[in-house]
Amino acid sequence: MTSIKEQGKQRAAVLQGTLDMLILRTLLYGPAHGHQIGKHIQQTTNDFLQMQHGSLYPALHRLEGRGWVASKWETAPDRNREFKYYRLTEKGKKQLLVEESQWKQMMEAVARVMWPASSREG
Amino acid sequence: MRWWQIRRRNADLERELRADLELEAEEQRERGVPAEEAAYAARRAFGNISLIREQTHEAWGVAPIERFWQDILHAMRAARRTPLLSGVAILALAFGIGLNAGVFTLLNSLFLEPPTLKDANSFVQVYPRYTGWFMREDQYSSFTTEDYDAMRDRSKALEEIAAWQVSSPTLDEGKPTATVLATCNYFHVFGIDRPLMGRFFASGDCSRGSATQVAVISEATWKADLGGDSSIIGKTIRLNGSPFQVIGIVSSDAANFLPGGIFIPYTTEPMLEQGIDSLNSPSTPWLAVAGRLRPGFSRSDAQSELSTIMNQQDRAYVKRQVSAFNRKTALVLTNGSFIENPAIRDRVVAMTVFILGPLTLILLLACCNVTMLFLSRTVTRRGEIAVRLALGAGRGQLARMLLAESLITAAVGGALSIVLVYRVPLMIMNVINASRARSVLMIHPNWRVFCYLAVLIVLATIISSLMPIRAAWKLDLLTALKGREAAATMRSRTISGLIIVQIALGFVLVCAAVMFGRLPSLITGMNPGFDMRHTIGVPVRVDTSAASRANALTFNRTLESRILAIPGVQSLAYASLGPFRRVPPTEIRLPDQSAGQGKPISVNNVSSGFFSTFDIPLIKGRAFNSADSTSPNADFVAIVSQAFAREFWQTEDPLGKSIITPDNRRLTIVGLAADTQSESFGVTDGPRLYTLRDPSTLDGGLFVRFSGDPKPVENAIRDTVKSLDRRQLIAPETMWESLEADAEQMRSLAGIILIMASIGLLMAVVGVYGVLSFAVNQRTREFGIKMVLGADRGTIFRSVTRQALRNTLFGLLCGAALAEPAMLALARFQSGSPLPLRGLNMVVFVVSALLLAAVSLAAAWLPALRATRADPMQALRAE
Repeated sequence: MTSIKEQGKQRAAVLQGTLDMLILRTLLYGPAHGHQIGKHIQQTTNDFLQMQHGSLYPALHRLEGRGWVASKWETAPDRNREFKYYRLTEKGKKQLLVEESQWKQMMEAVARVMWPASSREG
Repeated sequence: MRWWQIRRRNADLERELRADLELEAEEQRERGVPAEEAAYAARRAFGNISLIREQTHEAWGVAPIERFWQDILHAMRAARRTPLLSGVAILALAFGIGLNAGVFTLLNSLFLEPPTLKDANSFVQVYPRYTGWFMREDQYSSFTTEDYDAMRDRSKALEEIAAWQVSSPTLDEGKPTATVLATCNYFHVFGIDRPLMGRFFASGDCSRGSATQVAVISEATWKADLGGDSSIIGKTIRLNGSPFQVIGIVSSDAANFLPGGIFIPYTTEPMLEQGIDSLNSPSTPWLAVAGRLRPGFSRSDAQSELSTIMNQQDRAYVKRQVSAFNRKTALVLTNGSFIENPAIRDRVVAMTVFILGPLTLILLLACCNVTMLFLSRTVTRRGEIAVRLALGAGRGQLARMLLAESLITAAVGGALSIVLVYRVPLMIMNVINASRARSVLMIHPNWRVFCYLAVLIVLATIISSLMPIRAAWKLDLLTALKGREAAATMRSRTISGLIIVQIALGFVLVCAAVMFGRLPSLITGMNPGFDMRHTIGVPVRVDTSAASRANALTFNRTLESRILAIPGVQSLAYASLGPFRRVPPTEIRLPDQSAGQGKPISVNNVSSGFFSTFDIPLIKGRAFNSADSTSPNADFVAIVSQAFAREFWQTEDPLGKSIITPDNRRLTIVGLAADTQSESFGVTDGPRLYTLRDPSTLDGGLFVRFSGDPKPVENAIRDTVKSLDRRQLIAPETMWESLEADAEQMRSLAGIILIMASIGLLMAVVGVYGVLSFAVNQRTREFGIKMVLGADRGTIFRSVTRQALRNTLFGLLCGAALAEPAMLALARFQSGSPLPLRGLNMVVFVVSALLLAAVSLAAAWLPALRATRADPMQALRAE
């Protein structure tokens, strides 16, 4: 029983960093509200990342707490209603670069182990 | 946003979630999903909203606070549901915490606080320690007048330096009164700016050579000793016979920290005692010194500067060859509090531990009571707890919940205990010394007291919730969920453990109470081996300086003959050792031993009438007589105590044997005196040597033996001394009377300890009763079945009392294991005082054990009786 819980926890820890990066990257295109961000990630990954929109909100609030994104209630252009729009801050842009390079390093490292020949060629 | 804006944040989150959820539903509808299903589909796509909410709260970092708040609310509801139980728990903790914190308040004011109320940071007290001088090397001492002058004149780091000495001259015709001989800036340095009445010293009052005989008195002395006379200013009081004009009164609040009730210029010192002139002596250290740091200077600046000054003083002192000794001074600077005083720091710390230790036991007992109450609550609530566990509540969550409950109890108890924090110190002061209590008004709790209180509350919370948490964790889920209330019992080991702990703690407290409770009767009831009721000590002061030696001898001779003429007086004697004082030993050796091989012996240099005056029986040989020579050329005689004879010659006859003193005199033993108990109460003295006093010297104190009623003799002696020298105002007392005064003080101290131990004992009794009656309640069914199976009521009664008795005995053993080392430590700590606190372990232990056993059996009585009333029918029906 506990093992399932534990596994869930571990996956959450690994995914959390990735999710943060994905959100920051999405916001690079411009301000968006939670729903848009979720939709965008889902669509661009061709529904590979089958995530529930709900898991975005804790991440968004965490990023806001760290000052990487800022939020504001604004009226959506297509619907006549207010949504909470998130935009990337300067600090967030820097953080995105950091996370991106870390991700790349990890990818390269993993690639070197997984496909030794191709990485030597590269 | 901060955590306290949580409501706003919550509203914001709700709005955000709602907006996005609606958008999702709209999109679903646009995709062609029927309207009624769109909302559900949106929710499915969204996920568990309350989980999102919770996770977001975690992301805010406020979740722990929220959970804590929920736990507290829950705990308050739980407490309200059982008001009686909670009330008792709170009351027990309020007493436990309040007594501790109250006594700590007193200790804090007396020991830990710097002796000033104004700008304590700049106050420094200076303690010198000399090496190479005539004092013991490791001893902290005081300063000579010259050293004080040097520091005052040359120091830059201290802007003002005061000095003082405490003396106890006789006030008017009454009792010795603590008097501070102070420099004229004394009050200013201690941060007291305004007198209650009149004025403080002007700088002219302290000019050398022309001492002004003026006095400032404290409010307490004014009210207690001088009748609160409102026109006291300008009147004259006499100190050791010398007149002093009262110029001002210092208020009790301000004088609280000061060591005396009367303040006079330090330049009047030579007038107080004949033949003593510390003020003008270059090698008498007598002044305590304290000062105020100049702004911008630190204590270490002052330390290095004053050390430099004192080094210069050392060099000058040695160069002038004032005395044969070298001198090197080391300084310690403190904030002036008692606990930082390097000379007594260890003793103060030890004393604090000995005072707070038993009080901690009372708090622990209170915690035990609360544990018991919570434990029974946990057991009755096991259904609820089981449901919580079954629904997936974590153990941490459960522990938090129970912790919150005891936190609430401890916090409310702690808040109530603040009343005690304010009351207890004054109550104690009142009991210890009613007349001085008025002078201790300034005992107020400060931040340190409240920190201590907070620590106590946290400790009480944790200690009292440990067992309930364990019980909740160990809960058998299946049994509890099946609702078989009667089947679930508390583990009997828990019950035994609680009884044992409470008995053990109670035992230690009762031991302390019995030990101190016995002191007064031990002091007055002991047989010291000499007559105390018919021997009066006459504390005359004679000027022993060489210049007035002839006068002093004449004074003594005249006094002797006049005292012998008083009706009722039988004899008088001089002795160098007063009773119940500690005695520095002298090395005594046998003729065939070389110096250094001898044994440390206390030597009493007595006049020929000593043994008859003190009524010490001689076992063998003879007492001194007037024919015995004291001249340096002739042979000397000596008398030894039984312990001395045993020490040197075991069973041999000491008469005629010889011994050698450190100054190489050979003494022949002519008598064997009975052992006495004159160094400490109730303990036989070690080896003791009596030598014959040279009548042409001024050594020793005067003691008078009389028959009949002591009062007229005492008055006659007082008048005789006064008629010979009107400055000698003495209050002669029989040794018994002065002992009675000591015993009286011990009695009030024992009273306080008795009260505290009684509270502890009461808590232990209530605790044992609570545990047992709870256990009996739990076992009602078992008793019922036993009865059905043929057990009679006597068997059941015995089984309950036997369990109580067994646990009590075990608790007593544990208590003894705790008390024994504590008593040893106490005995070691106060080995310097004459109080008989050692060698009594057995008596104390037995009395305490009997008391506790009786009390715990009484506590077991009712529950055991209730156990016999178990109804077999009911027990079976429940089955």
